[in-house]
Amino acid sequence: MARFNLRKAEPGDVPDILRLIKELAKYEEMEDKVMLTEKELLEDGFGDHPFYHCVVAEVPEEHQKERGPSVIGFAMYYFTYDPWIGKLLYLEDFFVMEGYRGFGIGSEILKLLSHTAVKSRCSSMHFVVAESNKASIEFYKHRGASDLSLKEGWHLFRIDKEYLLKMSAEE
Amino acid sequence: MANYILRKAEPTDVSDILRLIKDLAKYEEMEDQVMLTEKDLLEDGFGDHPFYHCIVAEVPEEQQSAEGYVIVGFAMYYFTYDPWIGKLLYLEDFYVMKEFRGYGIGSEILKKLSFTALKTRCSSMHFIVAEGNTPSIEFYKRRGASDLSLEEGWRLFKINKESLLSMIAEERAVFRTTAR
Repeated sequence: MARFNLRKAEPGDVPDILRLIKELAKYEEMEDKVMLTEKELLEDGFGDHPFYHCVVAEVPEEHQKERGPSVIGFAMYYFTYDPWIGKLLYLEDFFVMEGYRGFGIGSEILKLLSHTAVKSRCSSMHFVVAESNKASIEFYKHRGASDLSLKEGWHLFRIDKEYLLKMSAEE
Repeated sequence: MANYILRKAEPTDVSDILRLIKDLAKYEEMEDQVMLTEKDLLEDGFGDHPFYHCIVAEVPEEQQSAEGYVIVGFAMYYFTYDPWIGKLLYLEDFYVMKEFRGYGIGSEILKKLSFTALKTRCSSMHFIVAEGNTPSIEFYKRRGASDLSLEEGWRLFKINKESLLSMIAEERAVFRTTAR
């Protein structure tokens, strides 16, 4: 397999995006945690105000596996804001289907994202990686990533809806 | 001190927002790391596509700070996206001037943010805290926050501009791609 195409996702890609989100979640053994629907992905990504952006990797028909999909990889990202340096590109999800790995698709996706970041005048790209995911950590470190949690001691926190409701209701 | 209001920031608040960003950075001993200018903040927050949102806490003139400021606290946030559950509210900066602490302004700001999150149909609020910042960690834990780094082992990574440029410049000779 040699040829593939990277492009901005379109509304018609939403079923493939959801499929790949679920495949990545399965890889992380969390498939039942995916609550998003195609309808939400469509509204949230392709409405007046997109909450995320996607890049997809697609293979030409002759390289598709028998009755296999043509969209075989994706990256989901959005823009965040650092009060010291401004805009950042935040890489949220990044996945290439198993049978299509080892051909440089991941590297090319990251390169396209780097280009997007620089073009939109972002100071850097941020993302989280599970500390046990050694393969991914190496992939990123190889490309210059630094572990801010290790270096600077940042911890990611979450306040769930249950507690947001509680706080909203407090007198 | 008893009176204050919380409101959405306006373009004219930009110099106070920058002042408070620097105050918070100073508190973290990082004041010289603040590169943003008022112009950046104005373009990025109040243009066609805002990259951040701000709430400010304002006191009446008769209660102004020692240096004469009426904007005494702020929170900067934006919306992020979780591929499993959708929209999230991300709290980026959150600060109340020292002389105005202890009056519940911080709690009220967090309450207002909770309301904003729910109104925009966000599933939860995320933010990062330095592991050494015990008072903040306690403040958040008291309100139901859980440490995902501890519980789930998530580590925050960064690829800086220099490395991004390096990646862009790399030649990949073997496979052709069409990046549209």
